[in-house]
Amino acid sequence: MKTRFLFPAKFRILGWLIFIPSLAAAAILIFSDYNLDNYLQSSVFAIINSDILAKPQYLTVIKNGIGDEILLVLILIGGLLAGFSKLKNEDELTSQIRYESLVWAAYFNFAVMLVATLFIYGLYFLNVMMLNMFSLLFFFIIRFYVMLYRLKKSVDEE
Amino acid sequence: MAEISQADLAEKISVSRQTINAMEKGKYIPSTLLALKLAVFFKKRVEEIFELEEID
Repeated sequence: MKTRFLFPAKFRILGWLIFIPSLAAAAILIFSDYNLDNYLQSSVFAIINSDILAKPQYLTVIKNGIGDEILLVLILIGGLLAGFSKLKNEDELTSQIRYESLVWAAYFNFAVMLVATLFIYGLYFLNVMMLNMFSLLFFFIIRFYVMLYRLKKSVDEE
Repeated sequence: MAEISQADLAEKISVSRQTINAMEKGKYIPSTLLALKLAVFFKKRVEEIFELEEID
């Protein structure tokens, strides 16, 4: 079957190998309130940059601790590869499960965001917005693999 | 009808065994393409393998 928009199957394991460690590292950083900003200081190109109480700067090179950027890039790339690479038994049923999981994850993610908007205030809301950078991808992957597991189990039980 | 395992059938029409299983249980409605492949494989018409149900 022709499948559109999916990576080759060999990228799936690579995706998991990137996704799990970077996600674990991010979780540890968030829950320990550890600040990465002072590490890995580098010059980076910024389309836009704004410091508190300063005029925004455009198209300029600034100094920035790139630890958090690296981590987020790894989570997103790892997650995309883990969730959107072909399975070894990819067919129209697994494709349907993938699309349904994606819709489910979109609903679930925005439901979580609604609740967070109404009940989480102050600086913690910044954490919520940061997690929202990859939460949809995270919920999708969980849902997708749970549904695949259930399908496999329902066949194996016979 | 010739005896054939889900695994053999799955391989012949290039889907997974789970898909064959889900179709047999009525949990998955195949695409037109897959329905036609099954019909060709069993040398039957599609309507002889699949039928509309009340709720459809």
